[in-house]
Amino acid sequence: MKKFIFNSITVLFLISTGSVIAGEISVGSVTPLTGKLAVYGEGFQQAMLLAADEINAAGGIKGNNLKIVFEDNNSTSKGSVSAIRKLITIDKLPLIFGPASSSNFLAVCPIAQDNKTILLAAESAAAAITKCGSYVFRVFPSDLLQGVGVAELTNSLGYKEVVLTYVNNDWGVGLAEVFKAEFTASGGKIIDELPHGEGKTDYRSEILRMKRHNPKAIVNLTYIKEGATILKQAYETGLNVQWLMGSASKSPKLIDLAGKASEGVIGTYPTFSQETPQYKTFKAGWEKKYPGKKTPVFGEYNYDMVKLTALALESAASDSSDDIRDALIKVSQGYIGTTGDKSFDESGDVNASYGRWTIKDGSITDYK
Amino acid sequence: MTAYYAQLLVNGIIAGSIYAMFAVGLAMVYGVFKFINFSHGELITWGAYLTLMFSSPPFSLPVYISIVPALLITVGIGLAQDRFVYRPLRQSNPIAILIASIGLSYMLRNGIRLCWGSDLHTFDLPLSTGILLGGVYITKIQILMMLSALLFFCILYFLLTRTLLGKSLRAVSDNIELSAIMGINMKKVTWTIWVLASVFAGSGGILLALDTSLDPMMGMNSLIKAFAAVLLGGAGNVWGALIGGLFIGIAENLSVAFISPDYKDFISYALIFILLLFKPRGFFGIAGGVR
Repeated sequence: MKKFIFNSITVLFLISTGSVIAGEISVGSVTPLTGKLAVYGEGFQQAMLLAADEINAAGGIKGNNLKIVFEDNNSTSKGSVSAIRKLITIDKLPLIFGPASSSNFLAVCPIAQDNKTILLAAESAAAAITKCGSYVFRVFPSDLLQGVGVAELTNSLGYKEVVLTYVNNDWGVGLAEVFKAEFTASGGKIIDELPHGEGKTDYRSEILRMKRHNPKAIVNLTYIKEGATILKQAYETGLNVQWLMGSASKSPKLIDLAGKASEGVIGTYPTFSQETPQYKTFKAGWEKKYPGKKTPVFGEYNYDMVKLTALALESAASDSSDDIRDALIKVSQGYIGTTGDKSFDESGDVNASYGRWTIKDGSITDYK
Repeated sequence: MTAYYAQLLVNGIIAGSIYAMFAVGLAMVYGVFKFINFSHGELITWGAYLTLMFSSPPFSLPVYISIVPALLITVGIGLAQDRFVYRPLRQSNPIAILIASIGLSYMLRNGIRLCWGSDLHTFDLPLSTGILLGGVYITKIQILMMLSALLFFCILYFLLTRTLLGKSLRAVSDNIELSAIMGINMKKVTWTIWVLASVFAGSGGILLALDTSLDPMMGMNSLIKAFAAVLLGGAGNVWGALIGGLFIGIAENLSVAFISPDYKDFISYALIFILLLFKPRGFFGIAGGVR
């Protein structure tokens, strides 16, 4: 019995110090495997494992197998903090895939940065992540890029003069700044610009102000609840314009709340082509490993994140986080993954291309 | 351009009539019991949420019928506030009652969160463009809001001036001890005040929810406006609360022409400061009491 316990402890010790075992290179991942995001977490994990399998089948990294140490965060910020502390202090991993949802990700950012541990995001969009620090990267486009996307949309629809309204917080103000710069640079004119409060139930005064200028189009950079309330009350006050919105309001909930007042809204959202050879390889790999299963939400981003990490580990001069970080920036330049160009800029963000959505007959469809 | 200002004025009157309905209960409770009831805002919220509850499954009653049980329960909450919290504390120091009312407000608000969550809810009313009257858009619900406020205040006027109950209510607010000595039924008067405060708050909350939407903070946000209205009218003065409410509603909506709409709440808060500094008894609060 004693021997059994001793052996078990030895085995456990060997497992938990994965990065030490010869023939294996380990990276960490804080993933929501329980809690309210667990429905997504399972898909993220499967996509990451698919990428790891492909890497290992192709000879691994410098002859070693890539291993991802998953740590559950119970879908909470608190759970994410304890999970990343374990991965950094006990497993001593130089690179960690961060948790989904921007607030959970932002909770672990300072810890990774302080410990000089590389942190990657595959599904967090908040603009604040850009400022997290030099060890933080994401393969998912920042919300700020949407400002550019909406400006391009406005131009291509031929609207030269618009009223701009945005939710009055860091995210909304930042997004509006980007839109304004981009739109005015291309010759557009903003007739009036007004912030609207977050979570209010009455936007009639704001709507009246928008209406005063008789605009043909209104750019409304906001969330779902605020967006729906504005659309509804604008409809009631007879304001008939073309609404242009971002991806934060793209949700069936918008239609639930605003009803027919949401008909005809046009917006942008980050997207990628499903016709590229990279995507087809991913799709084929997925169908082989998980037959009959649909590709998960953000699965492509998780897949790209692992693939890019493997390239960085392969070309890094040593296994120190600084060397891996330098290698990561280098290999990302011009790297085309499943979700497009993943070249990191100086703040660790990637570029994106945008698709267009509209609401037609009570459902969200692609705008053509 | 005139249509623009007319619309602002109408929006102000609509908002103001709802503020007045919230303020009147606050003023009455202050007039008689001499404390500020922070949990008054929660009567607004509960009125609205209970209507939502009775109009959705498993009850699925039409909205206009669900108002009845919703208001009855809101009145029950108002009476329970008095019976279980304020009455036992009536003889203790004013700070204790104030803190108790703040605590009660948190408890009732979190009760809403527990039952319905923090998410935004709406009544599934068919969406329609408002009626256009001389360049001003107004929805049916908004017309209903103004008519209800008018009706409620008319009933209140008759109650206070033409009935024995109303007269004793006014007497009690003038001097509670003397009224008790004179044989006025204190239980009945107390009961009337809480019923009136709950009905005004609950109905105002339902109308506000029909016009916009429901969220757990709706009562708390409106309460600040009601405070400003009460201060403006003079604490304890019912008619002051009506005029105060209308004044605040119109002032903050007209301000939209000059400042960014997102900062229009600034007006009600600024009014509170200015009044407290220069006219602490309000414009109509010369003698205090329910008038």
